[in-house]
Amino acid sequence: MKIALRVALLIVVVLAAGWLWTVLFPSPEKIVLRRIHGLAATATISPGEGTITRAGKVSSLISYFSTDAEISYDLPDYGTRTISGRDEIREIAAGGFSTVGALKVQFVDATARVGADQQSAEVACTARVSTESNKDFGIQELRFQLKRIDGDWLITRVETVKTLQ
Amino acid sequence: MQDTNHSAENPGWVQIVLIGRRPEFTLLRIFVLVLLCVVTVKFVLLPIRVAGISMEPTYHNHQIDCVNRLAYWRHGPQRGDVVAIRYSDPGPFSAPSQMLMKRVIGLPGETVWFHRGRVYINGRLLDEPYLKTPCDWEADPMTCGPDQYFVVGDNRSMPFKDHTKGRADRDRIIGKVLL
Repeated sequence: MKIALRVALLIVVVLAAGWLWTVLFPSPEKIVLRRIHGLAATATISPGEGTITRAGKVSSLISYFSTDAEISYDLPDYGTRTISGRDEIREIAAGGFSTVGALKVQFVDATARVGADQQSAEVACTARVSTESNKDFGIQELRFQLKRIDGDWLITRVETVKTLQ
Repeated sequence: MQDTNHSAENPGWVQIVLIGRRPEFTLLRIFVLVLLCVVTVKFVLLPIRVAGISMEPTYHNHQIDCVNRLAYWRHGPQRGDVVAIRYSDPGPFSAPSQMLMKRVIGLPGETVWFHRGRVYINGRLLDEPYLKTPCDWEADPMTCGPDQYFVVGDNRSMPFKDHTKGRADRDRIIGKVLL
């Protein structure tokens, strides 16, 4: 039994060492996913946040996108549209942030695939949006394309994915 | 001295209740039990909470249920099955956290047509005893691909445009709703 315990202990130590390694030296996929989750946290608005905080969040939100970024959506209630460039994204984000009371954005079930060149990546995820009054306000499958620009992973394209054809 | 040895071999009742006569076996049992629970919840019976009214009156908002992920291991979904459909793929070692709950009405290759609130499969009227509400849906015929299933909710009293429905790829159907 002592041997079994020692083996179990060894397995625990190896697993802990492996986990620590991934924390200290994260893979590009992990860095990309962290970036996407950071975007969700920035897009989340708490009820008590004032105008200045919200304006700061808009600037922070824009920093996740490349200058030529595109957001293309096809949604049942909102139709089809493509938002092009940081300026247009900023304009729409500012308008949305000033009118919404509170919003919680989460990107769940996310997986990242980094290209062989380690300079481009694609993330597939599901956006879950909750408001104060409606916990299940909206769920939408999304695909992000990112590029490594000046050492930072920036979003170059976001598009909605149709779950059902 | 004899007493000391005796107490070491025969642990007190507190120890027996808390960690058992042989702590190492208790530890092993806990490990196996936790592993079994994790594997079951992630890969076999996925617990779900219904959100929304699209499956009323069969399933209600906030109802708790389970998805049997092994239901379609040997065969594909059957007409009438209530299935869980994933959104984005979380990868092989994770269970999706967001799913659609819908009923399969059209099988691969079949044409589904909504006319005056009734469903026609390849031109033949589909008997749907689970429907309890009136429906006035009207839509052009839609044909499923070789690996697609047409899914729709049971609440057909909702406006057609507000109801999520359509063709789901086979690999998106993760299992059958248990109850």
